[in-house]
Amino acid sequence: MNTISDSAIIAALGRQMNRAVARETVAASNLANLDTPGYKAKTVTFSDTLDDHLTATAAVGGKDGAVVEEAKGLPTKRDGNTVQLDRELVALNRASADFSAAQTALSAKFRLVRYAINEGR
Amino acid sequence: MPLDSALNVSASALDAQRSRLEVAVSNIANAESTRGADGQPYRRRDVVLGAQPVDTFDAALGRADAVGVQVKGIVEDQSAFRRRYEPSHPDADAEGFVAMPNVDVPEEMVDMLGAARAYQANLTAIGLIRDTIQRALDLGK
Repeated sequence: MNTISDSAIIAALGRQMNRAVARETVAASNLANLDTPGYKAKTVTFSDTLDDHLTATAAVGGKDGAVVEEAKGLPTKRDGNTVQLDRELVALNRASADFSAAQTALSAKFRLVRYAINEGR
Repeated sequence: MPLDSALNVSASALDAQRSRLEVAVSNIANAESTRGADGQPYRRRDVVLGAQPVDTFDAALGRADAVGVQVKGIVEDQSAFRRRYEPSHPDADAEGFVAMPNVDVPEEMVDMLGAARAYQANLTAIGLIRDTIQRALDLGK
């Protein structure tokens, strides 16, 4: 079993932030096209699995694996549009909160590093 | 930067929804205009919206996640004019009927409500994206 290093944690938090941004971008696109006839609401799925992530902790970075595809199972309005206002606002808020969580953890991590650099002062 | 294009997406939507509001307002304003520039009654106008990738570079690479919206054009509603019996009107025909614009005021009001709601939603989105950018910048503190 490999130990979890600082750099792996920082990389993982970075990935979480990237995902949050990807989800936010897609939700913003859906909201923008709330009244565009024929527009199909999109959603982000992540093709990489937990296994990928566990091995990616050893190698800093890891892949992003974000796939944007049509959201399935949504009711279609008469003009062929499938965007739902509440759904997208919830997605946007959730992505934003996810980003905040990762950012908080990351800044705590950076604070520790700074603490060490300043020799505990 | 993806957050940047997300902002552009929401900004494009504000633009489009504002156009919708403007068109609805001018429809209501001209609901009784029997003489337009061509001598005909005012025809109801409609905004045509279309999806438009905001980041052309990403679109060229085939990974356009940020899809904005654009006003593709403003079209005139070709449905028949309403006819109202008003013999004293200067634009009345031989039978005393006046051709009135094909504007349905309640319909325009509903359209305006929809546009205002969508505008609001996109403003909320801009606020959230701005918060995210701010949080990202806070990491450098």
